[in-house]
Amino acid sequence: MLADTWYLFNKYVKISMRMPLWSLFSLIQPLLWLFIFGALFNNFATLPGFPADTYIDYFVPGVLIMTVLFGSSWAGVSLLREISAGTVDKMLVSPASRTAIVLSRVLHSAVQAVIQAFIVLVAAWLMGANTNFNPVYIFMAMFVILLLGIAFAALSNGLAIKLQREEPLVIMGNLMTLPLMFFSSAMVPEQFMPNWIHAIGSFNPIEYATSAVRAALSTTPDFHAFSIGFGVTLLFAVGTLYWAISAFKSIQD
Amino acid sequence: MITINGLNKIYTNGTKAVDQLSLQINEREILALLGPNGAGKSSTIKILTTLSGFDDGEVTVAGYNIDREPEMVRQSIGYVAQETGVDYFLTGRENLELQGHLYRMKKPEIKARIEELGQYFELADVLDNLVSSYSGGMRRKLDIATALIHRPKILFLDEPTLGLDTQSRQSLWKYIRKLNDELGLTILLTTHYLEEADKLSNRVAIIDKGHIKVIDKPDVLKDDISGDVVSLQFQDPQNKNDIVNTMRANDFVMDTMWEKDKLHLYVSNGATSIPRLIESCNEIKADVINVSYQRPTLDDVFIKYTGSSIDATEEGEEKWWEKWAGKGGGGMWAKKWQQANAESEDDAKVWTTEEAEEWHKNKDWSKEEAADWNDNKQWTAEESAAWHANKEKPAEPANNTQDSDKQWTAEESAAWHAEQKKDAKTDTQESSEINNSSDNKELTKEESEAWHKKKEWSQDEAAQWNQNKQWSAEESAAWHSDKDNSQSTEKNNQDSEKSWPKNN
Repeated sequence: MLADTWYLFNKYVKISMRMPLWSLFSLIQPLLWLFIFGALFNNFATLPGFPADTYIDYFVPGVLIMTVLFGSSWAGVSLLREISAGTVDKMLVSPASRTAIVLSRVLHSAVQAVIQAFIVLVAAWLMGANTNFNPVYIFMAMFVILLLGIAFAALSNGLAIKLQREEPLVIMGNLMTLPLMFFSSAMVPEQFMPNWIHAIGSFNPIEYATSAVRAALSTTPDFHAFSIGFGVTLLFAVGTLYWAISAFKSIQD
Repeated sequence: MITINGLNKIYTNGTKAVDQLSLQINEREILALLGPNGAGKSSTIKILTTLSGFDDGEVTVAGYNIDREPEMVRQSIGYVAQETGVDYFLTGRENLELQGHLYRMKKPEIKARIEELGQYFELADVLDNLVSSYSGGMRRKLDIATALIHRPKILFLDEPTLGLDTQSRQSLWKYIRKLNDELGLTILLTTHYLEEADKLSNRVAIIDKGHIKVIDKPDVLKDDISGDVVSLQFQDPQNKNDIVNTMRANDFVMDTMWEKDKLHLYVSNGATSIPRLIESCNEIKADVINVSYQRPTLDDVFIKYTGSSIDATEEGEEKWWEKWAGKGGGGMWAKKWQQANAESEDDAKVWTTEEAEEWHKNKDWSKEEAADWNDNKQWTAEESAAWHANKEKPAEPANNTQDSDKQWTAEESAAWHAEQKKDAKTDTQESSEINNSSDNKELTKEESEAWHKKKEWSQDEAAQWNQNKQWSAEESAAWHSDKDNSQSTEKNNQDSEKSWPKNN
């Protein structure tokens, strides 16, 4: 299974490498946000009780999370393409592990998301954001981002199989990402949220991932907050992956 | 190599894709599954390649039971789907390598095999180019090469030349034949190109509605249709039965088959029979707008066994994920919309009585539809009575229509027989004359009986015979008791099989 996953993962990497422009394109959006939101909400930081010196300092973890969400939530669209192109059938008639087929796709999207997040982080550094650039903490943050990428890519792949059509899949993708973003502290600190949004946020996996990334990248890292956020994100990733794999296995009948 | 016994497959939306299909495919043979779209070809292949489950039946592929040992089956087969499953953004070589790895082959082994296949399919020069730069024919060849990487014993080809131009198609045939000749591959291919089945396969299995109608060598199938085929196309044929009867009155017409407004006639000699057929058409004032004449082809075989020409069926079979879409999600709604649209179109149309009748005859009513209609319909007393009287009618062969409307009392029966005898006196003379002149032969009793049993009576013939025949008391009694017996059982059959008329 691992060997199959590796070979298929390689295939997807090769395909993405052959259209680097496309991968760059999906970076434009988070970079724009970093720039626009940083300027737009700059005055936020002057409010009493704001947890960071500048808005951009606060926003960096949030924009990393956004990068992952918008990077992996459409992973299922290409699965639908592969199904209609007959590629999936070709894999299914071979003895290749069914788990590997899903796993390789999900890993590919997640790794792509991590690379994009890394580039965004470098851009933030260039823009003078004051976050923790210690490699250990960056690694911790990236690991959470990888898990979140796996979770959302798995969700999108699973939904692709359940919905079978691109249009509803795209709608579901939008529905998953944007509201969940606003129900988390990615853009607005908890203190500034209405209570009910804060309450909903405590059921939101994105909130946990955000707080874990924020805890890692903070100039004063918070291990307690990190491990809670990390733990929940890990559970979420494992759960969604399991769901996507079993959805894929049910194709056969 | 492949044994299928009583295979059944019903999709979740209730469609019966494969219906009690049994089939035996021998080693080193090319067998073509020929059928219109939706006949169950692809479903059958999907089951044999482990892509799809099935409901009932025994299937062994290359000696392995596909239910219990799917992994072993996968190792021994290659599958080329309707859609080219090769990756466009990989090179030919990378596609082959990936496939080799998925079949758990060792690296040096893969390398050697790629060289071999590159040579074989004349792709060696382009192996390092991206597949997106390949032509359709090259892509197909690469697709087949990837399916052969692990040296399977059986190759499944689902519509291998669909969408290819004539040249690529013929070149592909060459390869397929070569694979069979030189490498001894057993090949099962589906196609709705008759020429493909004819030229490529050792045996053809005609499949319709999930069932194998006939299976044999293409030549044998064609020889079964003796003589030539004359096809007459009519301008709006109203009474198809009259036309058939008139045509059949010509003794050289051996078989007839309607296909929409075209009547295919199987005749002993096409060239000489055309003028006489046209003459017959003129006699009954049927407008012939087109006449064609040909030696029997596989299409005629196809028409004979399925009642429709394969070319008449549209291309573009429903994709498996579209069928699968019926389980939930978007596809289902799309279907509902289409249905709703189709129905509203129907409503808008003003039907003539003929059209309506024709449509009613042709439509296959589902049980649900029928039940629904019954619930909604308000029966008038007349309709109800008519229906009941009709229902009482036993499902006797057509030649007794006259009698069967009615239950005979003993008196009536006696009266009728007496009447009949009177009338028959004159008729018998005529009929004996007819017999003599037509046969020029003294039939022995046995011969005559045998002949009667064998002959398929047309309605008119039967009616005439009934009128002519003098019934002996014994015969009459026997027939009546027979009729009573059959009535009860047949009535039951009739009930369950009845297709409901729909008027509103």
